[in-house]
Amino acid sequence: MASHAKIAQQFARQLFKMSVLDGAVSADRVEGVLAYVEKHNPANPVMVLKAYQRLIAAEFAKGVALVEHAGPINDAMLSAIASSMTRKYGRNVTATAKPNRELLAGIRVHIGDDIYESSLAGQLAALAEAL
Amino acid sequence: MSTALEQIEQEIAKLSSKAVKKNTGNIRTVADGVAKIDGLSDVMYNEMVQFPGGAIGIALNLEEDEVGCVVLGDVSLLKEGDEVTTTGKLLSVPVGKALLGRTVDALGKPVDGKGPIDSKETYPVEKIAPGIIVRKSVSQPLFTGIMAIDSMIPIGRGQRELIIGDRGTGKTTITIDTIINQAKINKVGLASGDKNFRPVYSIYVAVGQKQSNIVRTISALEDAGALEFTIIVAAPAADNPANQYLAPYSGAAMGEWFMENGMDALIVYDDLSKHAVAYRQISLILKRPSGREAYPGDVFYLHSRLLERAARLDGKGSLTALPIIETLAGDVSAYIPTNVISITDGQIFLETDLFNQGIRPAVSVGLSVSRVGSAAQIKATKQVGGKLKGELAQFRELAAFAQFGSDLDAKTKAQLDRGGRIVELFKQPAFAPLPIELQVAVLFAMQKGLFESVDIKRTVEAATSLKAFFTTRKDALLAEIRTKAALDKDLEAKLQAACDEWKPTFTA
Repeated sequence: MASHAKIAQQFARQLFKMSVLDGAVSADRVEGVLAYVEKHNPANPVMVLKAYQRLIAAEFAKGVALVEHAGPINDAMLSAIASSMTRKYGRNVTATAKPNRELLAGIRVHIGDDIYESSLAGQLAALAEAL
Repeated sequence: MSTALEQIEQEIAKLSSKAVKKNTGNIRTVADGVAKIDGLSDVMYNEMVQFPGGAIGIALNLEEDEVGCVVLGDVSLLKEGDEVTTTGKLLSVPVGKALLGRTVDALGKPVDGKGPIDSKETYPVEKIAPGIIVRKSVSQPLFTGIMAIDSMIPIGRGQRELIIGDRGTGKTTITIDTIINQAKINKVGLASGDKNFRPVYSIYVAVGQKQSNIVRTISALEDAGALEFTIIVAAPAADNPANQYLAPYSGAAMGEWFMENGMDALIVYDDLSKHAVAYRQISLILKRPSGREAYPGDVFYLHSRLLERAARLDGKGSLTALPIIETLAGDVSAYIPTNVISITDGQIFLETDLFNQGIRPAVSVGLSVSRVGSAAQIKATKQVGGKLKGELAQFRELAAFAQFGSDLDAKTKAQLDRGGRIVELFKQPAFAPLPIELQVAVLFAMQKGLFESVDIKRTVEAATSLKAFFTTRKDALLAEIRTKAALDKDLEAKLQAACDEWKPTFTA
């Protein structure tokens, strides 16, 4: 017998599929899904909604390139990163900047589960590991 | 100093300014040595993943939105939300001759306190077994040094022979004897300077055993001078189940190195029952569907893919496997025993009753079999011991029949007598393997009826005296048997003469 968590996960996955329109999460559909959950009150609603939230957040993360940078970064560079990622992943990607002094120099881009490391801190860590 | 600087420069040069892509995930839960991870969308099955703090894991369950990993290392340092990265590598262990004489854990790290291991190569722990084309049929013997086995259940290089029996019946002892015998043969062979001599290196994999038992095994090998030809892979009972699950595969990788490099190796898995239990534990924690006796559905594949890696390769070396299975109350029809029996090329069945009767090694000749058979025997053994199995089978049948009555004809009495003597002759103390030439000499004496005048109870004594006589006074004759590996008329005459010479020295 499947556990409560597994059932909730499966249900959340169904809700997630219903929230996607033309390959992207639609705000209207999310609203509709939430209304449905509120009205029908499924078993373990908190578990279902948490799993649903995790799936939506993971999907959103695939469309946003978080650019960590140590030095200054301009809009042209951000839009170049966004268009490069859009081409690479075949979906619309926007870029947002986040300063991080620990990188020392260079940038680090997070998109979904992937990280593109081009920072001095990353290179030093790789050097330390190699030695 | 300059070399160190050059090394650093080379490393710097390697680190190009190009961006490095990493695939990451976050720990959702950690429990019982298993981590469930969100993300890791690019991870591959069996891929090594890196946890913070130096611990590594293996991705075993790839699900739609989470990955189940077994953690190899200290789980207590991990917490929810920690970042995990893929490595793009399969788990590998160090291999090579540098490991000989060492005790390592499931990851190939030394645990014997003898310092780091200078190994240049690594092999992946999981590897597809050699295919049909590259294999060669098993035809070269691997002597265990145990007379009952070498004469009736011969093992060949590249064979998989299961050793099965209840607890405390001498399963491990048989494998240690075999390892010791390989070391003895190696020493004689290497000292002889024979260019065609192929030493056999041994790997002993201890899974789920008590640490004290592993220490005892190491001491036995050390005392016998066999440790220098042996690698010990230890995953004791106190180790986490992931290490116990991996240890046999790590041992197989170490053995494969010898095989791939034109050498012969012997690997002992002690034991696969505990290995299956460790795998069951992991599978249950990973919430895989359970089947018979709560084992997962792929428990057969667990052992078949391991044992298929033992082979004799055409133009290369061989890897012989001696897996051990512990039965409960002699039940060979349980799940794991039947699985492993069907995978291997034969089994040596050890019986508690025989052990308690003082027949040691307690090999049940009726239930034991080697599917390679006489193809892996030298001609001399076939000549002197070819009919032994049949004679013993007849003896057992008659012995069972004779229990019901005392009036037996002379022929039956003679057969019973002879059978009783053979049983006595096959008794052998632990950690004292017999060289094959000495086995041939003893069996020759038995075939020629040399022990018939000796009281059955004194057969062991007579055999010991004969062995001592041959070792101390007929060294040249033993060497001739060893090199010729077959008994011609001249050799038979010499053996007969030696036996006649010994007879008066032993007073029946």
